Amino acid sequence: MEQEPRVGVFICSCGTNIGGVVNVPEVAEYAKTIPHVVHTEHNMYTCSEAGLTAIQESIKEHDLNRVVVASCTPRTHEPLFRAACNEAGLNPYLFEMANIREHDSWVHPHEPQKATQKAKDIVRMAVAKAILLEPQTEPEVEVKGSSLVVGAGVAGMTAALSMASQGFKVYLIEKEKEPGGMAQKLYKLYPTLADASEVVDPLIEGVKSNKNIELATSTILKEVSGYIGNFNAVLTSLEGDRELNVGTIIIAPGSSNYTPPKGLYEYGLNDHVITQRELDEKLKNGEIGEPERIVMIQCVGARKGEIRHSELEAFPKSDTAELLRKILKARKEEGWPYCSRICCMNAIKNAILIKEKSPKTDVVVLFGDLRVYKEYEDFYRRARDLEVRFIRHIEEVRPEIAQTPEGKLQVMAYDALYGTEVTFPAKWVVLSTPLIPSKDEIMLARMLKIPIATDGFLMEAHLKLRPVDTNVDGIFIAGTVSGPKDVSESIISGEAAAGRASILMGNGKVKTEAITAVVNEDLCIGCGLCEEICPYGAPKVEEGKSKIREILCRGCGSCAAECPKQAITMRHYRDDQILAQVKALLSPESSKGVVQ
Amino acid sequence: MVEERFENEKISGKEFEPLIVAYCCNWCSYAGADLAGTSRFEYPTNIRIIRIMCTGRMDPTLVLETLRMGADGVLIAGCHPGDCHYQKGNFMMEKRFDYLKKAVKNVGIEPERVRLEWISASEGGKWSALIREMTEEIRQLGPNPFKHMQIPKKTDAMMNVFKSQRLRWVVGRSQIKMEIEEEKYRQAVDSIMHDEIERHMIMGALKEKGALTAEELAQTTGIQPNKIVQHLIALRRDGKVNEAGEKNNQYLYKLV
Repeated sequence: MEQEPRVGVFICSCGTNIGGVVNVPEVAEYAKTIPHVVHTEHNMYTCSEAGLTAIQESIKEHDLNRVVVASCTPRTHEPLFRAACNEAGLNPYLFEMANIREHDSWVHPHEPQKATQKAKDIVRMAVAKAILLEPQTEPEVEVKGSSLVVGAGVAGMTAALSMASQGFKVYLIEKEKEPGGMAQKLYKLYPTLADASEVVDPLIEGVKSNKNIELATSTILKEVSGYIGNFNAVLTSLEGDRELNVGTIIIAPGSSNYTPPKGLYEYGLNDHVITQRELDEKLKNGEIGEPERIVMIQCVGARKGEIRHSELEAFPKSDTAELLRKILKARKEEGWPYCSRICCMNAIKNAILIKEKSPKTDVVVLFGDLRVYKEYEDFYRRARDLEVRFIRHIEEVRPEIAQTPEGKLQVMAYDALYGTEVTFPAKWVVLSTPLIPSKDEIMLARMLKIPIATDGFLMEAHLKLRPVDTNVDGIFIAGTVSGPKDVSESIISGEAAAGRASILMGNGKVKTEAITAVVNEDLCIGCGLCEEICPYGAPKVEEGKSKIREILCRGCGSCAAECPKQAITMRHYRDDQILAQVKALLSPESSKGVVQ
Repeated sequence: MVEERFENEKISGKEFEPLIVAYCCNWCSYAGADLAGTSRFEYPTNIRIIRIMCTGRMDPTLVLETLRMGADGVLIAGCHPGDCHYQKGNFMMEKRFDYLKKAVKNVGIEPERVRLEWISASEGGKWSALIREMTEEIRQLGPNPFKHMQIPKKTDAMMNVFKSQRLRWVVGRSQIKMEIEEEKYRQAVDSIMHDEIERHMIMGALKEKGALTAEELAQTTGIQPNKIVQHLIALRRDGKVNEAGEKNNQYLYKLV
């Protein structure tokens, strides 16, 4: 370090939040005695305009090259203080925060003396780290104004049209011969009972005619390399391979529909046992007629079986299609543990369609739980008004099915309301089955290094805060690939993913993580362990040495902790920076002058 | 300094107050500890939190060093399995923790002093309860034994084990794919740890006494003679020791 550290310590009272418990003036007085601290002050609110100005003026006046603020959690306030330092010409990574509110005054309100002692320790630890900090820069990369959308279903087409309308070039690929996805196979949509084609056809027309969209059907994504702003994608079709260069990627390949194993409720043995999806098609083709009775059974293959830890392990680690095939096969027998959320409305919709066409048909819906939310409650009432019979069985006693010698179907169920067994001879038995992840999607996720959730769907970067982002910067998800959705929800997620991608493409550049891994090439033996361990594919061994591609590195530090030669270290979280805090805590005297 | 603090505590006759260092991952556990604050869930003042980005970053050497410096307890807190911000850092830590705990016991520290826990950003209550429980548990154990005794040579040896390429490679490979049975993997890790400690002791003896024969090394270190020979072969191969003449018809060995 060419310059002697000059640390400024700013201690916040946060009104009485900190000051009401911790003796702030005493801590400030103490901070003066810590080596390399050249300026100390305490404020009522360090995050206020006045507090920030005080920091900035002190940086200039006292020639500070490190700033420590002892106040609240860095998770909320670090960006603010960093920005203030930056404005005053101090690299934001030369700032360190000491959390004496959430981790001290708020949890020790009845022990002011001990809390004050603890605050001194926390400040001393923060100064020890600050002294060893180094300036960092957030690399900026260019984002190309083009996007690749994988999957031309409702979500993918919506996303493609949204980005195209903003002037971005969109490559839309679809593995089937025609665009449209699952929605194209549907008949009517709930709750409007509009034809699915009313939604899907304009989208297909749109993506085919938009000059900014290049649609390629019978095409799959074979390979992706590169990083946010600059991905190289290899597409494969019958015509051969083709390479694309795009700034962002939206993954919208959809999901599959669960097909019951042969024999479950006589499925596959009797032609009159069908799934809701198959019922959709038969209604569309007018193949159902006006039967005496139709029985629907809910939650077939859904909300069954357990989430298994071993499976959870297998998803992120398996690199073989074989293992996935086994898991999916086991799931087919056992069922999937989650609620697919669209099946209830789907059954109600089809029940209404049948009833409106053939009022004499007795439609019975057997359910353990029926989940109708929002305006769908009215939809349910509409079915009730049409005299659709909803019969609840208890979860533990599933309905059973039998064939009479004449080949007629009979469904037996335990009616929870009457507490008795009921039997329904039926012309058709319709099984409501969930949307499930497909092997293709999981393999696609593995290729892109997008994590897979315990339910087998692709995982969002954050369930609530970043629902269409993935853990891979620049790659977004839309539609049912991240979990069951109906058509309107797929449209929403398509628009959302397009919005997120357009922010990047519109800005034309993006800042990436500053806290990244660094390889000491003198120690590196090029064993390649880091390459295999990294969830983001950041390290790459070239000419016998590991090189970190900083754009890809997210700064978790797993490679540093695993490197057999300890040749990798993390910026801003070096071993010595971490241990300096421990040393400052446990042997404050010896921490004096540990500057390296 | 550590000793002084301990002396002071004894003289003042105050009840022993443990100091626990908690390494919290930024995304879940640090936020969980924040939430304990926001919710005003009180807990003892004995904990000091160090923020790291991910438990995946926790090199076992950091934990051992923290204990060597005199922390009465070390808590590593990360996201629940499946919730890791970086996908699998917590799983990687879990795997390391397995041998870390054994190693800690091996050097004479109660393994209860080191804990790995999963705390989510919404588990402020759990965090608070954990700190109460851990503080009490360590209070019962008393001060870190390193505070009032010479840090045993074994700890230095263990630090070298943690830094050894062999151990790190075997554990690192297992993070990618378990190629052998779990039981065999554990045995391999155990035997590597054991071997590396013995090799370190051999090197220590040679450093102290210059050239020694295998027999003399066995006497000095208390390691079985046949094991000594095996280690000398390995150390010679790694270029760490070499022959240095003969004594009583036996080869003498010295550090390179």
